[in-house]
Amino acid sequence: MGAIFSVEEFSTFDGPGIRMTVFMKGCPLRCMWCHNPEGQSFHSQYVRSQNGCLHCGACLAAGGGILTADSISVCPQNLIRLCGTEISPEAMIQEIEGKLWMLNASGGGVTFSGGEPLAQPDFLMSCLDMLEGKTHRAIQTSGFASKEIFAEALKRCEYVLYDLKLMDSELHKKYTGVDNRCILENYRTLATSGKPFITRIPLIPCVNDTLDNITQTAQFMSQLGVTKVELLPYNKAAGAKYKMLGREYITDFDPSVPPQSHTEVFEHYGIGVKIL
Amino acid sequence: MTERVQRMKRLLLDREYRKERSEEILDFSGDIDAQTDYGIFTAYMQKTLENEKPLFYGDDIFGFNRSYAHSAICEDNGQPCFPSHIPCNNTPDYSLLMKPGLDRVMTELRQKPKNDFYDALIKVLELTLAFCDRYRQAALESGNQKLYDALSNVPRNSPTSFYEACLFQKIIIFILRVTKHEHITYGRFDQYMYPYFKADLDRGVSQEELFETLELYFLSINLDTDTYIGMQAGDNGQSMVLGGFDAAGNSVFNELSRMCMEASLELEVIDPKINLRVSKRTPDEHYRLGAQLTKKGLGFPQYCNDDVVVPGLIKLGYAPEDAIDYTVAACWEFIIPGKGLEAPNVTAMNFPLVVREVIDRHLMDSPDFATLMKHVEQGIIDKIEFLRARYNSLEKLRQHRWYRCSPIMSLMTQGCMESGKDFARFGSHYYNLGCHGAGISTAADSLAAVKKMIYDDQSIDKTTLLTALKNNFEGFAPLRNQLLACPKMGSDDDYVDAIAGQIMDYFAKNLNGKPNNIGGIWRAGTGSAMEYVRFGKVTPATPDGRMNGEPLACSFSPTLQAKPKGPLSTIRSFTKFDLSNIINGGPLTMELHSNVFRNTDGEEKVASLVKLFVLSGGHQLQLNTLNRQQLLDAQEHPEKYPNLVVRVWGWSGYFRELDPEYQNHILQRTQFMV
Repeated sequence: MGAIFSVEEFSTFDGPGIRMTVFMKGCPLRCMWCHNPEGQSFHSQYVRSQNGCLHCGACLAAGGGILTADSISVCPQNLIRLCGTEISPEAMIQEIEGKLWMLNASGGGVTFSGGEPLAQPDFLMSCLDMLEGKTHRAIQTSGFASKEIFAEALKRCEYVLYDLKLMDSELHKKYTGVDNRCILENYRTLATSGKPFITRIPLIPCVNDTLDNITQTAQFMSQLGVTKVELLPYNKAAGAKYKMLGREYITDFDPSVPPQSHTEVFEHYGIGVKIL
Repeated sequence: MTERVQRMKRLLLDREYRKERSEEILDFSGDIDAQTDYGIFTAYMQKTLENEKPLFYGDDIFGFNRSYAHSAICEDNGQPCFPSHIPCNNTPDYSLLMKPGLDRVMTELRQKPKNDFYDALIKVLELTLAFCDRYRQAALESGNQKLYDALSNVPRNSPTSFYEACLFQKIIIFILRVTKHEHITYGRFDQYMYPYFKADLDRGVSQEELFETLELYFLSINLDTDTYIGMQAGDNGQSMVLGGFDAAGNSVFNELSRMCMEASLELEVIDPKINLRVSKRTPDEHYRLGAQLTKKGLGFPQYCNDDVVVPGLIKLGYAPEDAIDYTVAACWEFIIPGKGLEAPNVTAMNFPLVVREVIDRHLMDSPDFATLMKHVEQGIIDKIEFLRARYNSLEKLRQHRWYRCSPIMSLMTQGCMESGKDFARFGSHYYNLGCHGAGISTAADSLAAVKKMIYDDQSIDKTTLLTALKNNFEGFAPLRNQLLACPKMGSDDDYVDAIAGQIMDYFAKNLNGKPNNIGGIWRAGTGSAMEYVRFGKVTPATPDGRMNGEPLACSFSPTLQAKPKGPLSTIRSFTKFDLSNIINGGPLTMELHSNVFRNTDGEEKVASLVKLFVLSGGHQLQLNTLNRQQLLDAQEHPEKYPNLVVRVWGWSGYFRELDPEYQNHILQRTQFMV
């Protein structure tokens, strides 16, 4: 079984063509800027949309102080839902199957994203196996996984969207909660595998948009012969979903500062830049 | 965009020119000494034209702008004797006047027997020519040499250039407007204008010059839109259909079609509202052009799928050569240009109300869902017969302001000159009536909820549901949440989509082809027009979780209560039926968040999405690009967004000029984003 929290049907930024993107629930990283906080926990969670909330308290009363299944039914505005579904690979594929011809006709396919898809390797591999030969398969990953798991996933997909967040391992730990050694290692594997892929950098103001980090990243990429990168400038709306989970969005950087893209540095290293 | 076009666009958008019109409301009551329809028509036309003054804005090369902001009043004993809404929602055959020129038409008319009909036609042409002569003189006096020269030829003679052809049409449109014709559309502009366009090209006129002429023409037809507003500002019927296929299946999308798309893309104004005819043979590049236009957020192009529409019209009895020439009326109703007077929007079926009434009356005594559906079918039949009876004679149609005679429209309708009969008195071919099918999704979702909770899961009892509905769910929040969680159209769920199919089948099978007593038949459709708000107001709570008075979905779309899985599922949900059986018109409407278009990939993907819709067998598609934040801000600060355009139902208008309930409906629709 796998845990997912959403299936998007028209994700225009997760690979070529029209794609269905399966957002898998659970991530070993805790990026400070994470805009999909519901993708962090591996467990299902009750969430409450803020827009339209009357603050009547019926949901908490029904759940004895927390949100529960009972909270869903009593909300007069129908704002509460369970985020996260346990699903078998077979059921997952069944949901996608009817739309495969549409995805294929547009030159698209299926992307597994998250959360972190590599954190649920059994489910991921089964899904990818079942889609073999049927559509274009992609994974969108932080690269945080053992090299065995990464290699297995790599064998089973046609395209990889790979995040590089921070080159400095201490800073990486500080901002994502994990060491970046295996990430850089797996990136080397990817870059030399011959598999089509795209490198993506979320640009976070004053965190990884520094000249230092960008230069190190560009150097690292160019040494591996990588010639293109996609930059995702930090979006001020990133914190929008925390309240829904009853959490506060806390950052030690100033979200209102527009991030620097330093495209000239990438270009200096022969890397073409696309800003998403 | 040339400087001249830029100047004209600025003039249009800052709206100052409107002050040059007179705000006076002329009153012809008592001045019109005529009894017959034609007598009143020509007298009204004569008086109006006598008062209209030639008005040029800037270096306008088209003129024929209204010099009065309001139409003249003309009453007899307190009743309007020349009401607006006279023949509306129709596309004439402009070439019937344009090809020969008015002089030749006049010569032909003078050889006809003398009677009221032919006299009226002659009078209308004489008045038009006299007015054009005055215009010509005014053009000379104001130094507008280009317009003066052109008016020396048109509309007396056939146009000798694309510019003259556009001017010719502008004159006709002006005459139609001052005689209170509403929602007269441009039809297949790229086809009937093409000979003039091509002749210019062959003569060596540059693409740039032709493009400038076209852009100036498009701007020119926007100048007076505020003087004929239909149901809401922007609902003016200025639709245009581009592309399509000939009988052999070859695309007729030409250089002019492309130029119209490009002009619309560059100008970003509400008119003309572009419809693009597509099919499984449409090249990807046309979809890309369409997607670029969708990105602008104007709510067009709207797509019509020839693969479904043409066979559908043939099934309804249209000759294949006419079906292939179809166009859309003001919003989306499929009609044949210049071949009759069809009223595809004469009435509408309120499906949710039928369903609610059936549930109130028959839920208790329906032991199973199949029995309930039999009652639904009967309810739909009863409603059909009620609506048919309301319009089953010319007399009744006239009471509802339909089927008024028009000498001008008769001049542009095939067969009228020959038969000596007005286009509204059956001088031409097609006299069909259409019935919209409003709220199909609300009706299907409601029945799906009943099927699931009452019959399949038996999770609630009938009395509870009936009580909850009666009380508008007050005190029944948990039940309403359960109902809201039932299958909804838009998520590719056969459970509910199959019910929608049944409803549409009942509607089509019991209405299509039924005689209408004026020599035509009835046609069933999937549109809603403004009824999505009006019917919503009069329809009590429905078992899909919709509360009293809440609006329905616009045309053929998921309800506001539904949370569709995504655009692919929505396309599948709404294309599971043979839509050629319900082809009066009415699009699937989908809202895209503007961030879909954050980069050029977005255009490519939206183009693919439209293609998938066409390959899936959809009949009509309308895409909106919206930015919720921006619309909310525009509600708060309308002054910041004077020219923000949105699609409303079958047409686009300026957001700030819409009634709040229509603004809110747009805000409540699901926006697909990334």
